[in-house]
Amino acid sequence: MFIDIHVHPAFYEPINEDPAREDLRHDALDIHKNGTAPLEHIFNQMRCAGLDKLCLLPEDYSGSVGCLVSNEEIRKLVDLAPDKFIGFASVDPRDPEACEKLEDAFTRLNLKGLKLHPGRVHVMPADPMMEPIYAICEKYNKPILFHAGLSWEPDTLTAYCQPMAFEAVAAGHPSLRICLGHFGWPWVRETAMLMVKYPNVYTDTGALYFDNAKEFYTQMLTRDIPITWIDRSLRHQVMFGSNNPRFEQIRMAQAIQELGFRESTLELIMGKNAIEFLGGLD
Amino acid sequence: MFVKTIRILTKQYVELDVITPQVEAIVAESGVRNGMVTVMTKHTTTGITVNEALECLESDIEVALSLFAPEDRPYSHARMLKDYGSTAGNPTGHLKALLTGNHCHFLIQDGEIVRGGAQDVYFCEYDGPASRNILVMVEGQ
Repeated sequence: MFIDIHVHPAFYEPINEDPAREDLRHDALDIHKNGTAPLEHIFNQMRCAGLDKLCLLPEDYSGSVGCLVSNEEIRKLVDLAPDKFIGFASVDPRDPEACEKLEDAFTRLNLKGLKLHPGRVHVMPADPMMEPIYAICEKYNKPILFHAGLSWEPDTLTAYCQPMAFEAVAAGHPSLRICLGHFGWPWVRETAMLMVKYPNVYTDTGALYFDNAKEFYTQMLTRDIPITWIDRSLRHQVMFGSNNPRFEQIRMAQAIQELGFRESTLELIMGKNAIEFLGGLD
Repeated sequence: MFVKTIRILTKQYVELDVITPQVEAIVAESGVRNGMVTVMTKHTTTGITVNEALECLESDIEVALSLFAPEDRPYSHARMLKDYGSTAGNPTGHLKALLTGNHCHFLIQDGEIVRGGAQDVYFCEYDGPASRNILVMVEGQ
């Protein structure tokens, strides 16, 4: 089972019937010239990458630019390919109805976890206003995937996404599984520190800000930290993620398998850890 | 000028697709009896070429192109592109596209494309899978 835990479906054809909405997504995400993708193309891409399932992440910034990809749209996509897609929810913590929307996403829409981007909504992860949201995730045993580290999206401030900003959340909510996306790049060592200290902290490999996939992964996962740190100590907390369409899913999926991890570690990174993080696939 | 677009969803990273039947159908639909047809890709990591449609040659072409632009070289194009907001991971596709070019021409006589017995039109994918558009332009009378 090979799972990509970090995929943004903003340009999937079934949720881009309105050209104005597609234009908004290009501008608000700063992703251009890519067009929209029919699901058949997504499935071809998955087959070339060897992927079995994609975790689809919505983006609710209703307190500023709007809800770019809604929970309802994620449900629609999952229903079109339930054997291939896993759906997450998103809420804007600044939205007075955030808690009601999250309850609805977990109960009626049956979404599997929550995606949050502190840097885009300018709310620190440990801000007290986040506590009701964390409480709902704990109540329903749903994980949170946070954007961590550099964000290419407009109007983002990296200070809100620095891995150390998440320590109080990890420490204060030991039963809440949280993923610091993108390995918290460039703070790879800080992300590793949090994972070795807190077993409820995960990360994903959705980073490719320089060079090609093999070169960047070699730097990030074998030089910025030695490969042994993951292979021996963090092997149950690292998940494959591509951050597609920002980054290259097929080449990243190939590169992660060429770094020199033990076969059993690769199995964890490529799928087993994601299943654990999600609380199962059912 | 009569213009039509052929749309293809390619399935592989690199693939060679014979599109002669689609081009012939567009020439017939145009009603042009004597003139010229141009087949042109709208992309920069694809090609249009004319060759013999044999499995062995397709394999040899793919191998020859991969020798010209191997995947594991340190290409300058491997970087974030601000205009796209995404990483450019397709330098080999751009380089392979150099060799096959972006178009081909054929004469049309008596409503038929004039081509040699071994000549077929290929659409070449070098950065798939992807959604691709190929322009077919028919000029004449």
